[in-house]
Amino acid sequence: MKRKMQWVVFVAVALSLSAATVWAGGQGEAASGQGPKSITVLTWNLPHYADSINGWISEFQGANKGVTVTWVDKKGTELPTYYQTQLAAGTPPDIVDIQGALWYQYAKDGIFMDLSPYFQKDADMKTRFEPNILKAASMYQGKYYMVPFYTPSTVLFYNKPMFKAAGITSPPTTMEELVADAKKLTHGNVSGFITLNFDWLYWPLFRANGVEILNSDGTKAAFNTPAAVQTLKTLTQLTSSGVISKVSWTGRWVEPNGEFGAGNAAMLNAHLPALKAFESQSTWANDQTVGVAPFPGKWSVPNYHGFGIASKSKFPDVAWNFVKLITNEKWAKNAASVLGTLSGNSAADTSLISDPQFAKDNPVVAESFKVDLSEAGNLTGITGTAKDAQVKDAVYSNIQKALFGQVSAEKALSDAEAAVNQILAGQ
Amino acid sequence: MNRKGVFRIFDHLVLVLVSIVMIVPIYWVLKTSLTGENLFNYPPSLIPRNPNIYYFVDVYYWIPFLRYFFNSIFVSMIVVLANILFNAMAAYALRFKFPGKKLLIVTYLGLMMIPFQATIIPAFLLTKYMGLLNSYMGLAFPLASTIINIFVLKAAFDSIPGSLFDAALIDGMKEWKILFQIYIPLSKPAMATNIILTFVWSWNNFIWPLIIISNKDMQTLPLGLSTFLSYFENTSGQMYAFVIMVIAPIILVFFMNQKRFMSGMISGAVKG
Amino acid sequence: MAILSRQRRRSRALMIIILLLPSLLVFFLYRGVPIVWNLVLSFEKWNFVDTPKFVGLGNYAKMFSDPIFWESFKNTVLYFFGGSPIAIILALGLSLLVNKPLKGRNVYRALIFLPYPITPVAIAIIWKWLYDDKVGLINFILRSLGLTKQGIGFLSNFSWALPSVIFTTIWQVLGYFVIIMLSGLQTIPDELYESAGLDGASAARRLWSITLPLIRPTVFLCFIVGIINSFTTFDVIYVMTNGGPGHATEILVTYIYKNAFTYNEIGAAAAMTLFMFLFLLLITAVSNKISGGEAGGVNYYE
Repeated sequence: MKRKMQWVVFVAVALSLSAATVWAGGQGEAASGQGPKSITVLTWNLPHYADSINGWISEFQGANKGVTVTWVDKKGTELPTYYQTQLAAGTPPDIVDIQGALWYQYAKDGIFMDLSPYFQKDADMKTRFEPNILKAASMYQGKYYMVPFYTPSTVLFYNKPMFKAAGITSPPTTMEELVADAKKLTHGNVSGFITLNFDWLYWPLFRANGVEILNSDGTKAAFNTPAAVQTLKTLTQLTSSGVISKVSWTGRWVEPNGEFGAGNAAMLNAHLPALKAFESQSTWANDQTVGVAPFPGKWSVPNYHGFGIASKSKFPDVAWNFVKLITNEKWAKNAASVLGTLSGNSAADTSLISDPQFAKDNPVVAESFKVDLSEAGNLTGITGTAKDAQVKDAVYSNIQKALFGQVSAEKALSDAEAAVNQILAGQ
Repeated sequence: MNRKGVFRIFDHLVLVLVSIVMIVPIYWVLKTSLTGENLFNYPPSLIPRNPNIYYFVDVYYWIPFLRYFFNSIFVSMIVVLANILFNAMAAYALRFKFPGKKLLIVTYLGLMMIPFQATIIPAFLLTKYMGLLNSYMGLAFPLASTIINIFVLKAAFDSIPGSLFDAALIDGMKEWKILFQIYIPLSKPAMATNIILTFVWSWNNFIWPLIIISNKDMQTLPLGLSTFLSYFENTSGQMYAFVIMVIAPIILVFFMNQKRFMSGMISGAVKG
Repeated sequence: MAILSRQRRRSRALMIIILLLPSLLVFFLYRGVPIVWNLVLSFEKWNFVDTPKFVGLGNYAKMFSDPIFWESFKNTVLYFFGGSPIAIILALGLSLLVNKPLKGRNVYRALIFLPYPITPVAIAIIWKWLYDDKVGLINFILRSLGLTKQGIGFLSNFSWALPSVIFTTIWQVLGYFVIIMLSGLQTIPDELYESAGLDGASAARRLWSITLPLIRPTVFLCFIVGIINSFTTFDVIYVMTNGGPGHATEILVTYIYKNAFTYNEIGAAAAMTLFMFLFLLLITAVSNKISGGEAGGVNYYE
């Protein structure tokens, strides 16, 4: 009896103390926001862009007296944890740089502000971006939530000397050519083809064979088709015979780029930032030896960065004006040239592409810009659903099973379809 | 060679083999920190090509190295000292019989089972509420006592004969004094383990500083460098150089403690 | 045991409370409160911005019907049973070895311990390379020895993936176990061995009758450490496989993390955390009971 009493007392005390602490903590802080206007901008892994960011801040602060801008930068893997902790504490940054499709969830949950009224008011903002890019970067359920910051999508990088040695005169333009070339290029330790796989980046392989991810209103899976089964079977067979490097399916960023840079693969399907990544690890890659081409069918998967504004921001107008400034032609051009990808700002991108000096100094980068822009009308790998992350995992984990021979292609796709439909229904 | 000698050779053989397995991956970390080469170059080469200390120098100059180093050392010191004190106190208390002791032990064990990820947000809110964001105390507090180390000490305390305790009492020593003058000095290996483990955990701690430190001057070393290099997506020479630099103080602490506290069996008189 | 006077008992009780207070405060704040927070959150749906919405047992219902949850749970249990016994036995053997008066034992100890404090992410990347089936060192060696031609896909083969990850974690964590075991070994008073030696007991006898029983609390501790590690090792798996291929190496913690910070489903993550916590609590309480109730503690002289 005494033991039981102790238990009860102990648990009661623990619970009430905890509850008291949690409650007291939840009282939060007095609304800060009186006094000078200050906004915080959180960027995604841009320490090497520090000079430009400080340039943004001094220019903006100079033109807007009484406003302070604070800059915080976090790595991609840490940013969601950091951001959500700040949200939970009630002190989220006003402007957040988000990669890929993570922002759909924030839009749906009301964490990011609906920017449509701002776009409506500032017509210039709508027109300064390439329309396909803007749509992919910003629209969720018909409303605008993001402002494009830099907008790379996938292209096909290839090893020119290897192509020459295999007697291939030009990069593949159809899936059949891609497979045939990959087979020709495979020798010894070298695979003909390797791809990145996170964030749907591998999807052109399927889309070029006519496979869509979801139906047009995003309510059901649409990828379980005979064409998809055939594609998956082909990919499985090519992977097991080494024509497609296994690292395409086991690696994430470091490994596929490392392999391509080491010369263990002849073609790489990746978005523009991969260029710097694999070049830095390579002895073979230089301006003469790296080729860039559109993927067959010009299908390309975007992996954009855009700015969202926190719905609970205390100074949304200030935040909007700041974002307006840093995505104007001057700064967009700076972003594109320093970061090595398209910016999404039409004027900035086209001026760089047609700049002979830029082409002379960075021939491969300039070429990649051209190729990327040419694919802007054929964006794929976009689900448009707030459950993108879960759908993505459900599809990829099942595809992986087939690729490594664990299950048949048919089973993998139907399992994935069932999982995806369940996820979408549970919204 | 006599039987003892044969055993000795065998012992060394096993240990050398194990050491090699332990070392190989670390050797590759070291090699890449000296050459910055691509891991995926095939075939893998044992000897570093063109080794240089360029990457270490880079890391040193990229960040306010000394400042962050100092922050890390200072916080780790607080953590280690707090741990030795609090853990010894708790372990000593557990030596006595008191109502609810078994419940307390199960509670301690249970609290160990909570994964860190699950505590990030509430820990942040608490730290903020206590006004300890961006502070050394805030950094040190969550690690100021660790349950495993309490039990390590408890195991050591358990081995001290009760008669020693009784004798000291009869001599008129105060109970809490017995902790400091008898129990702690007689538990050197456990104290060493406490110091080493606590130091490692505090020194390597990355997520916690990431969440609560926004003031650049207060960053600890792992955090400070990560602002330049993404751990997860970067394999440059600088990253590996940094990994080596971060582990160096730990090795130092390890050796210092080994020598002073953990000699273990010295005499050959105890055979085996 | 001396019978204490009432006053003595009072002052002893006070002393015990004071002794326990600092550590309990730390654990209360940074573990106790968070688990209650998770408990409350597990019954809610929260988007971090508005007030949380109460959903009763919704999160738990979803969790129990989620096949990935069960696979993660299964993997976690496999991870533990596959790894810890081996690690503990290895650690015991190694610590016995490095406790002997061997030349250079401090160096051996350092080398065994070295993997433990290295940044887990660097470890994951290197091991990923070591396991690579085309260019990795292990397959390179296997190929040179003629044992394989294709190379073994350690991280791409569904049957090899989890064991490979387990091996890496044993490699990393062995030093941690060894240092705890050493501490336990060194608390065994020398005189016990000496008197046994005088009595003519052989080395094996001494090991069996003195060392093993008296090291029980330490082994129990390592058992607990093993549980904690297998249930909470995050970085290495996240970087090495991210739970793949498929979900073959998905353990509870990586799945909880995905739910919390990638899917934005913090309520679901909290429910899983609670489940994990209660499950572990159960195992721990049972093992504690089996080993005598004092965290495996032994009384040397009573």
